[in-house]
Amino acid sequence: MARMDSSSKSSADIAVVASDVDYAYGTDANPKPILRSVDLTLARGEFVILTGPSGAGKTTLMTLIGALRSVQKGSIKVLGTELARLPAAGQRDVRRRIGFIFQDHNLFDALTAFQTLRLAMELAEKRPSYDEALSRAGDLMAALGMEKHLHARPGELSTGQKQRVAIARALINDPSLILADEPTASLDQGSAGAVIDIIRDRIVRAGAAALMVTHDTRLFSVADRVVRMEDGRVVEPS
Amino acid sequence: MRWRDWLPLQHPPGIGVRLIAFNRLRLLAAFAGIGVAVAVMFVEFGLLMGILNSQSLMATLVRGELVVVNEARTNLHKWDSMNRIRLNQIAADPDVERVIPVYLGNMGLRDPATNSVRRILVVAFPSGELPFAIGDPDAVARALRSPNTVLFDRLSRPIYPDIVADGEAELNGLSYRVAGYVDLGPDIIHDGAIVMSDASWFQRNPNARPIMGVIRLAEGADTDAVRERLIAALPDDVSFFTPEELRQREFDFTLRSAPIGILFGIGMLAGLVIGSITCYQILFNEIVDRLKQYATLKAMGFSEVFLRGIIIEQALLLACGGFLGGLIFAWGSYIYIADRTALAVTLSVPSVLLIFFMAAGMSVVAALIALRRVVTADPAELY
Repeated sequence: MARMDSSSKSSADIAVVASDVDYAYGTDANPKPILRSVDLTLARGEFVILTGPSGAGKTTLMTLIGALRSVQKGSIKVLGTELARLPAAGQRDVRRRIGFIFQDHNLFDALTAFQTLRLAMELAEKRPSYDEALSRAGDLMAALGMEKHLHARPGELSTGQKQRVAIARALINDPSLILADEPTASLDQGSAGAVIDIIRDRIVRAGAAALMVTHDTRLFSVADRVVRMEDGRVVEPS
Repeated sequence: MRWRDWLPLQHPPGIGVRLIAFNRLRLLAAFAGIGVAVAVMFVEFGLLMGILNSQSLMATLVRGELVVVNEARTNLHKWDSMNRIRLNQIAADPDVERVIPVYLGNMGLRDPATNSVRRILVVAFPSGELPFAIGDPDAVARALRSPNTVLFDRLSRPIYPDIVADGEAELNGLSYRVAGYVDLGPDIIHDGAIVMSDASWFQRNPNARPIMGVIRLAEGADTDAVRERLIAALPDDVSFFTPEELRQREFDFTLRSAPIGILFGIGMLAGLVIGSITCYQILFNEIVDRLKQYATLKAMGFSEVFLRGIIIEQALLLACGGFLGGLIFAWGSYIYIADRTALAVTLSVPSVLLIFFMAAGMSVVAALIALRRVVTADPAELY
């Protein structure tokens, strides 16, 4: 597996640049620092795993990069947009270019897998026709080994199958950045491998970048880089 | 493949409808809850309108362009009579084709089976002229031409003895021939009515004075101009109204003089509040049950406007379903109430539209309150 060095990339090739990022919960009078002077760069076409103990600040960093929280101090540039002081509408625009994979599938029980994917496709600048949507959804579901479940609702699927639908939802619009939190936790080894292959394929084919939080050391070998965080700091960029 | 898959998700039936319709039993329970509130509004409104319409029935049925009454007669159930000469003065106007005097009174109708006597309204007018739309004018004229002949109001409440056409009816101890029927209808004060010619009425009440006059104008006459002329020419002991004005005056008087507007208004408000709370509770539960999913949509980049649209869509579905259920219940209730009370309780297009918009408004307000919860869905909490 070719390892990438993001420090040698031009700015156009950079997906995420976090510089000197601090973040604290609590009140101004009684702040509880979570991130301390975090620097992280993620190049397009790069697959980075973020690891570290609980409470290290991985999730907070992910939510900041995903424009799900506002930057308090420092700078985070995602897909060319500075997130610091970015208004809500701008954050929303950035989020539309990101594929989010959460630990929970969070699927609507009333929607079939296809309807879930089609709903996500409606966020795209150009809304696909029904046939085009069906074709794209079918191809992606097939790549995830889910071709037989395109019209199944969550109630008809196993936990792993639901998670794969959620992963398909995150990838259906070919996001430029994929942010994943333990995406393979509920999957067996075979399914986990398929998911990683799909994410890798998106990285190679669409030039996307992926940042994945995981404790699964088996996945470390497939990443371009493994970044370790401890006590709110990046301690071990590989 | 189901037909719903072909429909775009962001347009009706969109995601909101799909979500709330997924649990059919819960949806039916929601429809039932809101339907009860809608039915309460319908019944309260129907009773109010039934009373108002019944009280103003005579104005509604007038066959003429203007009505003249004693200036002191503040409502149709206050029988201040007029000087007969006023009608003659009105008839002298070149644009007035005819003035029909109307006499009102009460008589006692005896039930031969029980010997009990019940009060009944008497409406009298010249036999050749029908001042109210209560039957075929020619048939009424023919029937009333014979002396001591009456027509029975078949819409009277069923408290009177069976009145058979060509039979006899005993009124104030005197026998009258019943020549047939008219359709007038009772109100809150009167349970029923009979119609007779003024000649028959004069036989019992030789000094009777008209209670109102129905004025028919010549073809092409300007009603307002004629009224202005009549007001200028006559003393101010009489007032002139168009039938619609008279009806509206009766509405206003009834609402002002009796607290029925407040009573039924509170009833409708109760329905509105019950419906709003029910709708809010249903929507709130829907939102809370799917808060993580809504947070996911926000994380993906869907706007709060889109999320609000989902909830409003659900609210409108609840309003429509509840409204239909309530309408069906109200329809049955109206038939029952009209049958039992003989009041003019009817489902009219304006009343149906009014209640529909109230139901829709109620649901949207409930949605606006409930969707504050969806705004709190924090996508950052998903990681």
